Order: sequence, then structure tokens, then C-alpha cells
Amino acid sequence: MLKKQLEAIVGEKNVSTRSSELYCYSFDASQAKGDPDAVIRPHDSGQVAAVVRLAGELGLPVVARGAGSGLCGGAVPVNGGIVLDMSSMDQIIEIDIDDLQVTVEPGVVHEKLNQALSPYGFFFPPDPGSTAMCTIGGLMANNGSGMRSVKYGTTRNYVLDLEVVMADGKIVRTGSRTLKTASGYDLTDLMIGSEGTLGIITQAVLRIHPLPRARSVILASFDNTALAGKTVVKILSAGIIPSACEILDSTAIETVRRYDPTVELPDAGAILLIEVDGMQNAVKEEADAVGKVCSELASGIKVASTADESARLWNARRLVGAAISRIDPKRTRVYVGEDIGVPIKELPGMLEYVRSLSEEFNIPIMTYGHIGDGNLHTGMTIDMLDENGMERVNTVADRIYRRVIDVGGTVSAEHGVGKARESYMELEHPTSMYVMRQIKKALDPHGILNPGKMGL
Amino acid sequence: MMEDEQLRSILKCVRCGTCRSVCPIFEELGWESFSTRGRMMIAKGISEGMDLDESIIDSINTCTTCGICEEMCPAGAIPPDVFENIRHEIVEMGKETESQKDLRENTLSTGNPMNETHPRLEWLMEQRDVPDHAENVYFVGCLGSYRYQETVLRTYDLISDLDVTVLPDEVCCGSPLLRTGSDAGELIAHNVRQMEEVGAHTMIASCAGCYNTLKNDYPDRFRVVHITEFLAENLDKLELERLDITVTYHDPCHLGRANRIFDAPRKLITAVCELREMRTSKENARCCGGGGGVRKGYPELSKALTEKRVAEVPEGVDYIVTCCPLCRTNMAPFSEIPVIDLLDLLTWAQKKE
Ligand SMILES: Cc1cc2nc3c(=O)[nH]c(=O)nc-3n(C[C@H](O)[C@H](O)[C@H](O)COP(=O)(O)OP(=O)(O)OC[C@H]3O[C@@H](n4cnc5c(N)ncnc54)[C@H](O)[C@@H]3O)c2cc1C
Ligand code: SF4
Ligand code: SF4
Repeated sequence: MLKKQLEAIVGEKNVSTRSSELYCYSFDASQAKGDPDAVIRPHDSGQVAAVVRLAGELGLPVVARGAGSGLCGGAVPVNGGIVLDMSSMDQIIEIDIDDLQVTVEPGVVHEKLNQALSPYGFFFPPDPGSTAMCTIGGLMANNGSGMRSVKYGTTRNYVLDLEVVMADGKIVRTGSRTLKTASGYDLTDLMIGSEGTLGIITQAVLRIHPLPRARSVILASFDNTALAGKTVVKILSAGIIPSACEILDSTAIETVRRYDPTVELPDAGAILLIEVDGMQNAVKEEADAVGKVCSELASGIKVASTADESARLWNARRLVGAAISRIDPKRTRVYVGEDIGVPIKELPGMLEYVRSLSEEFNIPIMTYGHIGDGNLHTGMTIDMLDENGMERVNTVADRIYRRVIDVGGTVSAEHGVGKARESYMELEHPTSMYVMRQIKKALDPHGILNPGKMGL
Repeated sequence: MMEDEQLRSILKCVRCGTCRSVCPIFEELGWESFSTRGRMMIAKGISEGMDLDESIIDSINTCTTCGICEEMCPAGAIPPDVFENIRHEIVEMGKETESQKDLRENTLSTGNPMNETHPRLEWLMEQRDVPDHAENVYFVGCLGSYRYQETVLRTYDLISDLDVTVLPDEVCCGSPLLRTGSDAGELIAHNVRQMEEVGAHTMIASCAGCYNTLKNDYPDRFRVVHITEFLAENLDKLELERLDITVTYHDPCHLGRANRIFDAPRKLITAVCELREMRTSKENARCCGGGGGVRKGYPELSKALTEKRVAEVPEGVDYIVTCCPLCRTNMAPFSEIPVIDLLDLLTWAQKKE
């Protein structure tokens, strides 16, 4: 019945209720799970709108999904319903260099967008580790970012205008094609980070940035993560804004080596990878300045000599979170407690706290992440055949989250709240959750858009 | 019950989705169950006792075992091995597809998957004086024996001076069965027994699929080399001269990615002519779509992959060279440019007395 109705909208070959598909779309990269009733692959906003209207009539949840690389269960239909696999809408509609913008469908894969922009000397700066697979839609819905956000900001900073299908099936445009606007409520910004709970994005106009002329990567080693953390505070307070500033602890260093043995990293308790970019001369000057600040606490400093070396380094860094599974054949990475953000000066204390938890619970915790903007990832692995493994990492995650909120931080700096972190929303936003709920109620009165998420 | 080790190989997957960006079948079909990650999830589901309907079986059986996912997987999972094992489980549970059944029955009854019933290598023995004993055995393979006899003859002539014979009663190496979930123990034992009778210590394979199987699925009692390695080592003895042609080279998945043989074929090609690489090559080479039982079980899908691979051939080449008769058979009908075996190229380049 539902299948037939959906087929009438998107065509037979774009609807699936096969058990294989219902099973595969019940996951993303997190630990959340929920079976959909049907999965569709829409091809335009008209189809999306018709499906949303149908879902409204039937009172069925509608869950948008990009590549399902999300780490919080955002794309998982926890209350069942229809999953809209938006990766089928993957056209780059227009590259408009004169107006510094590009118009895309939401299913465009991040890496593909940057490959298309690169011949023009431009790029879309948010730089997630999941560039090879994640979609622009998923990035917008989670306000994702990555290694370069310390200088370039998050996805939010690059969205000018959206086409959105609202819960009542109407298609709206939220912004303008200008680089700035002061007209009306900022509905574009409201949609960014709303995780598919307020509307389904069917098109986006994104601001793009010229590629820097030069980049240089400095590799500073430290005896421990806390010293690295202190150095980050010093770099930023010295007025240097690197284009990336990443930390790898000793486990992360070993993981990078296993992932790509050609990447040469020193033995150390922690490494900072600091990239500066810009015009050739400025880059040299800034790199020197970074080196100088680092030298106060670092045990060694090295500059990546070639573009190829830097590229391999960043590539390995991007996937280190998943690559930690290589360290022990019996253990697998589970993404819980992984995406905290703290004020910069709280970094050394937070790193020390994570280390103490690792000792207390006897769980190896790899720390890595975009330390330059206070965003730390804590990577835990478990033996999936150990029944208590999951419970223990959840306890550690809980302790981490509570500490983060205590110091004025956030439980999600870039991966989103979804199912995984929804129980911390009240804690993190004690005074404003009711506003979020009212917005949700106003825009989606029947709660059909991605229900069961974000503590709404 | 699944062995712990097998279960762990499935659990290695963290569902990151990196493989979505490379799986050629997923690129074609777009649905998650046809991506590597989807198959890994389904493998896990099967290990937990999920019902096996047609859609589940299609997910597992549409993998060509090309291995590009393994190449990219940050977590160190080995998806093609997982899927071969899970195919085996599915077959054991009595859910063999017609295509798998055909392949198994044909190969076990006639010694080759094409169901050819006439003697396999008699034609070679008749035309050449093949010794009973030798240090090295040239493993001819099914497609060589029945479809590419000319190439086989050339290969044999090229190496016959190097103390080489063939197995008197060679049967299929077992690759088609192993890749599609059946047991190949009988075939393997038959070939191994003859190796011992011939008294050889080295097996030389010219087919990428045979090589991969002899190397990784046979008991570790003989040295296994690919013909290109063997020839590259003996390059100075081959007396080759340059040809005025330009070719491109298709890396067979089971030779390149699976066994890291990238250089030997290139060394031989560049010794005799110009080589222009395909758009993707070596570790990143696109699969031709022929492997893993996909060509037989899902011909339309296989064809779509083949067309994509052929579209990667650079401008201005005279031939597509490869080292796998399956890739060759698979690509030839879809390519305007002739597809040849590397051995054909080398014989053309042999100095004429
Ligand atoms: C190895 C690895 C590394 C990662 N590194 C980073 C990183 O460095 N930075 C970072 O920010 N994230 C990172 N992530 C997390 C993840 O890749 C991002 O959250 C990404 O933005 C998700 O995109 P997706 O296309 O996979 O979306 P999905 O996971 O499919 O969906 C994510 C959310 O977006 C919603 N959504 C998707 N499309 C639409 C649409 N068209 N309209 C409305 N809502 C929609 C979904 O409902 C869901 O709530 C990483 C993940 C992995 C596995
Ligand atoms: S790349 Fe590896 S870990 Fe990631 S989803 Fe694919 S098989 Fe799983
Ligand atoms: S081996 Fe090839 S076809 Fe099979 S899942 Fe991996 S990438 Fe896809």
C-alpha cells in the first residue's frame, strides 16, 4: 500500500521495501538503530514535497539521509517511517565564480564538490574527515566542519540560501543570493544544524573561497597531550590563526602509522599538526612564528617538506578515527563520547581528565581532533564480543559529557546530537530547550520530520 | 555457529562509509545494500540469524571481489574475504542460486566452469613435446585451455626452454567455486597430487584468478609465481625487440590489488613498446566487472562495469593489454580497441631468427 503510493510519486525503481534495504538503512555510523517502513531515492524537490505531504496524511515519520556517515544516529529512523536517501540528488547545478557561489543539490559528496571547484582555484572550506563520502546535505544538517574550521569556520558560515521542503509539503527559499543580508529572521541559519527536524533541504547556494596560494605544515612533538594543549593556547593567544591545528596522542600516532606506513611521524606522547596558509611570504612568516611558540614546550619540531607529504599526512589524519580499529585485531572503534568542544583554555585540563578516565576504567582512549577550535575526539575501541564493552564506554562517555558541560563546553562540536546525545540537551541548554521545542512545534506540529532526535 | 575469527572480521567494519566512494557496484545501483558497507552490515545480520531472502542474497552475491574497498578501508576490514565466507555459509544453508549451482556442478563434473567435455590439454601435448618431469609447471587454466589456445601455445613456447611442463591432467584451479561460496577441496587436491607426481617446485600461472587462488588458497608447498614475474626475472633471456605501437594496461584486480603485482607487467610492456596508463591504474584500477560470479549471475550489472572500465582507455592506443583471460573475455565485446594478453604482445616482440 505505502509502497504503491510512494511509487506513484518517485517511480517504481526509486522505492524499496526489500528486506536488505530496510536493514541497511536502519543504521548509520553510530550505535543507533531503527527500521524504516520504506526507503526512497527522490530526484527533485517536487517529489520530496509530495512524499512529505503523503507522510503527513499517513502520520508517518520522514527521515532525510545523506551518506549515513553521521555519528549520532541522525539519519536513523528510530520511530520507523520513510527514509529519503538524498544521495540520489547529487547534481552540482551551477558554479558561479563571479558571485563567489555554487548551487548544489544536497546529495553532492563533499570531495566531489571540491574536485569540481579546484580547477577554478576555489574551494568549499569546511573539511570533514569524511570528505570522501559525506554529503553536503548531511554537513548542513549537522553543521559539520573539520580540520580547517579554526580559520575558516563551520558549514554555517558558507550557506547563503536554501530550498527547503517544510513539514506541510510547501517548498520555500530561505535566503538570498547575496553574500550578506539583514532582511528578516535568518531561516537559513535555523535550518543549518537542525538535523532534518525542521525541513528537508533540496538545494543550497554555498559561498566559496579562493584556494590559498601556499600552505605549510608544522609537526611539533610533545611529551604528553597536556603540553600540546598548553601550546595551542599559546599559539592562538599569540594572534596566530592557523588554517588547521590538530592533535594526535600516542595511540593516534601509532594508528596513523598503521594506516599509512609511508607517513613519517616522530615517537612522542602527542603531536600537533599545525597548518598555515595564505600568500607565500606570509605563510613563511607565520610558520616561523608557530615554530617559535611551539619550541617553548615541544620536544621536536619538523616542517613537512613537500605538498605530497602534507597530503598523505592529512589523508591519514582524516581517517584516524576509524583506523584505530587496526591497532588490535579484536577491537573495533565505537563512536560514543567522541565529539566534545571546550573553551580553548580548558583544553589542558580536559585532556588530563580524559587520560585519568582511561586509567580509571582501564579502557585505551585515543585523543585526536581539531584542537585549534577546542574540538576533541575521544576514540574508544571495544571487543564487540564482550557483552559489557558497550556499557563501559557509555559510562566513560557520560562522565566526559558531564565534565564538558560543567566547563562551559558542548557535547557536540560538529557531529550533531541526533539520538546519541539527545539526553544531554537539557543539561547543555537548561534555559533554551523550551524555545527549541516551540520552534519545532510551530514548524512541524505533527512531529513527522525526523522524530525522536535532539531531545525535542 | 560462526567462528569467532570470522565474526571478528565482520565486526571490524565501523560503518564509516568510506567504501561508498569506491565500490563500483554501489556506484551503479545506488542502494545501500549494494555498497560494501551494506554488505558488511548484512553479513553481520546473517551471523545473527537474519532470514535469507532474495534481496539479502543479491546483496552478498553482487560483489565482484575487486578489493578496492579493502584498499580504502581505514578500519582494516577485508570485505571480499568476508563476502566469500558468507557466500559459503549461505550455500551451506542450502540457499545456492541457480548460477552458483551451475558453476559448481559444471566445474566439479568436467573440471572447468564452461562445462567443456573434451580433453583439456591434449591439443598442447599433440603439438609440443611436453616433458613428464620438470622444475616448473605452467598452470594453463580453463580459459587458456579452451578459449585462448593460441596465447597458451605462445606462452609455452616462450618459457619451454626454462625447464617447464604442464600438469598431465590439470583441472580448474577452483577460483570460480571459491569466489562464489562453494568448496574447491576436490579440485585443489587433484592438482596438488599431480604437482607432486611431476616433481615440480614452482607453479607458473598466467591467469590472474588462477594465480590468486594457487597463491592464497592452495597448501603452502610450492612457490607460485605469475608468468609476468617469471618473465620479468628472465627478461634478458627473452630476446625482445621494440614494436612501434602504444598500448594501455588493465590491472586485473586479483593480480594487482590482491597480490600487489603492478610492476612486472609494466616492466615487460615498456621493454617492448609505449605504455599509456588508463585513467585509474594500479591500486586504484577500476574493476572490469567480470569477477566474483557477477558476470554469470548478474550479466547486465557486469556489463555496466565493463563499459565504465573500457571508457577509461586513453586516446591513441592500439591495444588494451591485460594478464587475465577473464578480464579479456569480459572486455573484448565492449571495446573497439582489441584486447590482448600480455603474452601475445611479448611473442610479437620476439626477435625473428
Ligand atoms: C570517519 C569519519 C570521519 C568524520 N569526520 C568528521 C569531521 O571531521 N567533521 C564533521 O563534521 N563530521 C565528521 N564525521 C561525521 C559525518 O560524516 C558528518 O556528520 C556528515 O556531515 C554527515 O553527512 P552524511 O551525508 O553522511 O549525512 P547522514 O549521516 O546521512 O545524515 C546526517 C544528518 O543530516 C540529515 N540530513 C541529511 N540530508 C539532509 C537533507 N537533504 N535535508 C535535511 N536533513 C538532512 C539527516 O537526517 C541526519 O540528521 C565523520 C564521520 C566518519 C565516519
Ligand atoms: S570502509 Fe571499511 S569500516 Fe568503513 S564502512 Fe567500508 S568496510 Fe566498513
Ligand atoms: S570487493 Fe569491489 S565490488 Fe565487492 S564490495 Fe568491495 S568494492 Fe564493492
